[in-house]
Amino acid sequence: MIRTRTWIIILAALAAVLALLSFFSLTAKKEGKTVQILQDGVVIEEIDLSTVTSERSFTVEWTGGGSNIITVQPGRIRVTEADCPDRVCVDQGWLSDQAAPIVCMPHRLMIRIKDSGGPDAVSQ
Amino acid sequence: MNAKRITTMGLLTAVALIIFVIEAQIPPLVPVPGVKLGLANIITVYAMFALGPRDTFMILMVRILLGSVFAGSLMSMLFSLGGGICCFLVMLLLRRILSQDQIWICSVIGAMAHGIGQMAVTVAVYRTGQLLIYLPVLMLSGMIAGAFTGMCAQLVVKRMKSIK
Repeated sequence: MIRTRTWIIILAALAAVLALLSFFSLTAKKEGKTVQILQDGVVIEEIDLSTVTSERSFTVEWTGGGSNIITVQPGRIRVTEADCPDRVCVDQGWLSDQAAPIVCMPHRLMIRIKDSGGPDAVSQ
Repeated sequence: MNAKRITTMGLLTAVALIIFVIEAQIPPLVPVPGVKLGLANIITVYAMFALGPRDTFMILMVRILLGSVFAGSLMSMLFSLGGGICCFLVMLLLRRILSQDQIWICSVIGAMAHGIGQMAVTVAVYRTGQLLIYLPVLMLSGMIAGAFTGMCAQLVVKRMKSIK
């Protein structure tokens, strides 16, 4: 039987590594001005944020029921309204240069910055 | 399966469901997709040590299926299933090498496994590895929440023993 103290050391080390990784993954930046809106893993819309001059909102419906209202401003994009229960996507705020995408799990929606290297290098 | 065991399992499933439904009403603490407290895990961990794996698996499955009917969606059910099964398998292994005073450790590692299982389903659903960027956050928050729920479960195991 492994002693509790040994377990605590192992778990604390793991937690430290995870905390470091979390920090890097959440603060990671990504080059690119084009964002993609995906539903069910399929790109349904691409927006070049550098060409956006004024604020604009539009609704993305999900076939399984429910919708998200997405707002674009010059250089950034966010989900402003969602009819899912947790509304994590709304809380995630603006996406402008982060590598971490905005996700709405219940509606299988994802907003991410397009990969600069080749068309859709990550998803396939 | 005797009447006492059925009653105990039914009760635990009901308690787990109540916890699950109430927790669903609490707004998310951090704006990271997939992160939650997972309070219903208290029941899973308790059952694992007090009743055994078979009963735990049944309680877990019924809780996930009914839980998504009451307070969730088809999607959340898939994530819960992926995470729940991974968590269950890891706890199944750990159960033998941990003592009654180390139940919380089982919960911490189980919660990390839950994050991995949940992420596996997410990657399959979204068909992109990009969301893996959230895996460290998911596992870390799992460790913290798992420590809490594990300590709760450990307390319950000890208290219930003195009642019997």
